[in-house]
Amino acid sequence: MSAPEDTMPAADPPRDDPTLAAEWALGLLEGEELLAARGKYATDPDFAWRKEWWDNWFAPWTDQMAGGAEPGDHVWQGIAARIGAPAAGEAPGAPAAEVVELKARLRRWQWAAGLTSVAAAAALALFLFSPLGSPVAPPTQVAAAEPMVATVPIGETGLRLDVTYIPASDRMLIAAIGLTPDGVHDHELWLVPDDGSAAKSLGVVAPGTVRSMAVPAEIVAELHAGSRLVLTREPLGGKPADADAGPVVAEGAFTTV
Amino acid sequence: MAARPRPTSDEAREALRDAMARLAAGDHAALEEIYRMTRVKLFGITLRILGDRKEAEDALQDVYVNLWQRADRYDPARASPISWLATFARNRAIDRLRTGKVRGGAVGIEEAAPLPDEAPLADALLVDAEQREQIHKCIATLDERTRTHIRAAFFDGHTYAELAERADVPLGTMKSWIRRGLQRLRACLEASEKP
Repeated sequence: MSAPEDTMPAADPPRDDPTLAAEWALGLLEGEELLAARGKYATDPDFAWRKEWWDNWFAPWTDQMAGGAEPGDHVWQGIAARIGAPAAGEAPGAPAAEVVELKARLRRWQWAAGLTSVAAAAALALFLFSPLGSPVAPPTQVAAAEPMVATVPIGETGLRLDVTYIPASDRMLIAAIGLTPDGVHDHELWLVPDDGSAAKSLGVVAPGTVRSMAVPAEIVAELHAGSRLVLTREPLGGKPADADAGPVVAEGAFTTV
Repeated sequence: MAARPRPTSDEAREALRDAMARLAAGDHAALEEIYRMTRVKLFGITLRILGDRKEAEDALQDVYVNLWQRADRYDPARASPISWLATFARNRAIDRLRTGKVRGGAVGIEEAAPLPDEAPLADALLVDAEQREQIHKCIATLDERTRTHIRAAFFDGHTYAELAERADVPLGTMKSWIRRGLQRLRACLEASEKP
């Protein structure tokens, strides 16, 4: 006998759904298991009910987490700015008027689309470096380029892809900030054409990054407000050429902002 | 101590409930009230999970912006506002932790800024006392080892893999300890819900 009895991998109790919900509520899950739990939450009302049941029972423990610390004043100012409320002490500097306008528009999109600040900053950078979005371009041209945004929420987790299309530069930003790679799967983003023809791949999503990609003309032709996006789970590297696409794990649609 | 009288727990909960209802109706000002009432408690949660002041503040900002965008998600029939908000804040912090950029873990006392007088309002916003007593009673029925790991998952945001590494046991062992514990915990909590 080399190991104490209680460290032997004894017969595992089967993991039923209520236990999975508890594991998720505690935050024990990561990678593929975490994705599976989120998927179940979005599609299975019993599972969603049970997750909230656990959340509710664990909630009293948060009373013991209070560290007595006060967040900085800039936190509320940031919130106020992001929701468009006036914030005390918010004094804009004096950069070029066009940049101020762009920033204001970005903030509105960010608010409307729930874009992460990283994604919004990347969108702003893309604007500034695109020919029409350049601060030296006449503002009318900037206004002519109406960007579109789509959020692809992953279950009800708050994690999501933020996809921004900037017509001025024919580029698309795909922000996958909260996602983590599980080392076994990749996720591939697809545009679903209106005519029912085969979905067009926008490529494999890079977890934890904001990626900017040039959009091929055949995809631009399909893009409009309301265009649908789906995210599928695939083997590493994306859908193999000779296989069907994997299961759809999330979807969203473009809106003009 | 603050010169002004502290609101009782009931008053604080009522004020929060009212502000949440106004927020759901689209009232901007309600968000600021909710922020003032809950920021210390929610910041305590994000700071504990993320272990980094800057990250915790970013997470806190996300929590309130999300709350504003999706105020309709809160269901008063399911949970008290503070219980729901606390859970929401913790879940957002865990999401952020899982992006892998953050160190996580406990926070040193030096991170804590002094509190202004009005802040202890957060003290009054405790999650339902009866519920607290019940989860305490049920968790106490588990063996100490299981109890410790379950609490470490909740308070420090550890994954199964991290808990197994810290305890120096195989991953499968940690999973079966915790799963058995969770199944017993569920039975105890469900029994307490029976009329």
